[in-house]
Amino acid sequence: MVLKLIREVLKVGQATLPYPFTPVELAPGFRGKPEYDPQQCIACAACTIACPPNALTMHTDLEQGVRTWSLFYGRCIFCARCEEVCPTGAIKLGHDFELASFSREDLTIRAEFRLAACNLCGAYFASAKELEHVLALLDQAGLPPEDAANRKALLRACPECRRKMDLPRVKPLVQEAFNGRV
Amino acid sequence: MLLTEEKPKIGQKYVDALRQQFGWSIQEEAWQAPDQVTVTVELNSLPSVVETLYYQHGGWLSVVAGNDERPINGHFALYYVLSVEGDEQAPENKREKCYFVVRTLIPPHQMEFPAVTPRVPAAIWYEREVRDMFGLQPIGLPDERRLVLPDDWPEGLYPLRKDSMDYRYRPEPTTEDETYEFIDVEGEGIVQVPLGPLHITSDEPGHFRLYVDGEHIVDADYRLFYVHRGMEKLAETRMTYDQVTFLADRICGICGYAHNVAYSTSIERALGIAVPERAQYIRTILLEVERLHSHLLNLGLACHFVGFDTGFMQFFRVREKSMKMAELLTGTRKTYGMNLIGGVRRDILKEERTQTLQWIKELRQEVTDLVAMLLETPYIVQRTQDIGRLESKVARDYSPVGPTLRGSGFARDIRVIHPYCAYDRVPWTLTYKDGCDVLARTLIRAEEFFESLSMVERCLDTMPEGPVLTEGFRYKPYAYALGYVEAPRGEDIHWSMLGDNQKLYRWRCRASSYNNWPPLRYMLRGNTISDAPLIVASIDPCYSCTERVTVVDVRKKKAQVVPYKELERYCRERKHSPLK
Ligand code: SF4
Ligand code: SF4
Repeated sequence: MVLKLIREVLKVGQATLPYPFTPVELAPGFRGKPEYDPQQCIACAACTIACPPNALTMHTDLEQGVRTWSLFYGRCIFCARCEEVCPTGAIKLGHDFELASFSREDLTIRAEFRLAACNLCGAYFASAKELEHVLALLDQAGLPPEDAANRKALLRACPECRRKMDLPRVKPLVQEAFNGRV
Repeated sequence: MLLTEEKPKIGQKYVDALRQQFGWSIQEEAWQAPDQVTVTVELNSLPSVVETLYYQHGGWLSVVAGNDERPINGHFALYYVLSVEGDEQAPENKREKCYFVVRTLIPPHQMEFPAVTPRVPAAIWYEREVRDMFGLQPIGLPDERRLVLPDDWPEGLYPLRKDSMDYRYRPEPTTEDETYEFIDVEGEGIVQVPLGPLHITSDEPGHFRLYVDGEHIVDADYRLFYVHRGMEKLAETRMTYDQVTFLADRICGICGYAHNVAYSTSIERALGIAVPERAQYIRTILLEVERLHSHLLNLGLACHFVGFDTGFMQFFRVREKSMKMAELLTGTRKTYGMNLIGGVRRDILKEERTQTLQWIKELRQEVTDLVAMLLETPYIVQRTQDIGRLESKVARDYSPVGPTLRGSGFARDIRVIHPYCAYDRVPWTLTYKDGCDVLARTLIRAEEFFESLSMVERCLDTMPEGPVLTEGFRYKPYAYALGYVEAPRGEDIHWSMLGDNQKLYRWRCRASSYNNWPPLRYMLRGNTISDAPLIVASIDPCYSCTERVTVVDVRKKKAQVVPYKELERYCRERKHSPLK
């Protein structure tokens, strides 16, 4: 028994790696730290809603018209939900997993985005880039020009003004429904 | 609920039998799946109904869930979940197996219920926990100590009540000292040995107290839950139901994926989602890959505790291959994060399949050699045979699970009794033994290891092509169901109820070790203290280990604290007793 064991031990040789002096080999699909490209990001907030541990957060300042996207790697669990839901491919998991740091700040990344102001009342309402993104998508949708223009006008207004714009259209419908009792 | 009338209902005959016996006490009956039924019973008949199912219809207690349903129906509710498997004398194929949930409602002005524990001992921890978490008093429960809540937690603050507290609230400690009262074992010459506050096998927190007469253990008591993380509360308040899969992954560092599948399937069942075939196979493969690394870890520890450390190193070396396998197939070594409600997130590609099959071949050879070496070690059998006996009677009364139960002669494995994923489509052989000792439990793990290897191979060979995720289902408020998985240490079971806000109303997740802790006391009795670490390791406990042990000498009536490392050394060398 002992002999067999010694033979086995000799056959295997050294099993441990001199990590961190040699890199570890990772599987091709390894999920490491999310890499973020603010150029691609439209600040739509889809990733911040999906992120299970709230590593991703979004803060919207309606006074200043700024939306801040931030990712705190200290909470991140490398799950890739953000990558899955991102409409533009702005966030993707890489292979890096060695994140040790002396300060929390090093583990946080942020990006700021301008908010679009409503073309009727001037209030800030949505991310400007997200709006552009949606408008561009509309262009590609190939709608009849008049229809497209109407929809675009609607999109440039804040939800409150949109409701008001809709009122004249909706009112007769409601009145009809209630048989003129309103 | 999801069922149309025509589908066969497995377990109907038990409902009928109860109606016969208990008449009007048996009220509503609701089906969550063809083999899953929830029956509401009148409060006072609760103990008799559970006892009847347990001892007359071959029931085993899987979990008990408390639920504050005041916002829904004005009451607190208790759900006693039993796996009812038919008369044990009847032939195997005649036995109808289902999950039978006994539900009872408690009016909020009453706040008490008749305890089931005096009739069915398996309920002991559950009823203590329900008292801690909801303030519901089990009348007739002899043990009045807290189970889950810390001793310095304020009186009258019940964390899982819907109106009690925010999940972030951390009340001030009410006392400076540990006030937990360990049991009193009186008798000439009994010594107490406290083991703790860290785990006896894997450096996790728990406090053991062994009562010894000389070197012989007379009784044992333990205090666990030092690291309760409040996950159920977190899931119910902070997360959406589809994010909880990622939290379930983190319940356990060993069987996280098993919990993940148990959770996902509970929701899929509640919502009536059909998971694609291929996803079922992928889940099965990953569950077995998880068993590989878990069993190798426990076999390694078994070597360590009998003083065969080279073996320990070798098992851990080959275990690395199973970790790489997980990394290859899921993108990470642990916390696979593979499930979404409705299926899995990534497929298994051709190259991954080829590599996995190659590794399986290598593992089979390497582990065969190692196990042979372990068994040839002269003292291994001597150190483990007839040690830490879990008698069949005790096992029957306490509903332990996994290799702990299968070592005591019961052929119970959830993969066979209630097949889920692809377990009813890949042939495999169930292992059980009747040695009732540490040896039996260790051998079962070794055999199961090889069975898992074959299962992964068969699944990779026969899995159908197709999609891996079902999308576009509807969230149904207040739907509920069970999800269950045979994890490496036994059944993991989740009872989930959806809310009306994309969240869970209630999530009860029960890890396998929860059912294996209460009978441990009986396994320790009658052994010598040098065997204690070995016995505890034989249930492959998950609580997170014990650095110190209190030894209570019942003859000299004195208590002595032994550093855990010292006890572990004694277990390995069996020389120089720390008690002398
Ligand atoms: S990988 Fe997961 S945890 Fe990390 S930022 Fe993305 S969604 Fe959040
Ligand atoms: S989902 Fe993508 S585009 Fe939207 S905020 Fe997140 S990173 Fe930016």
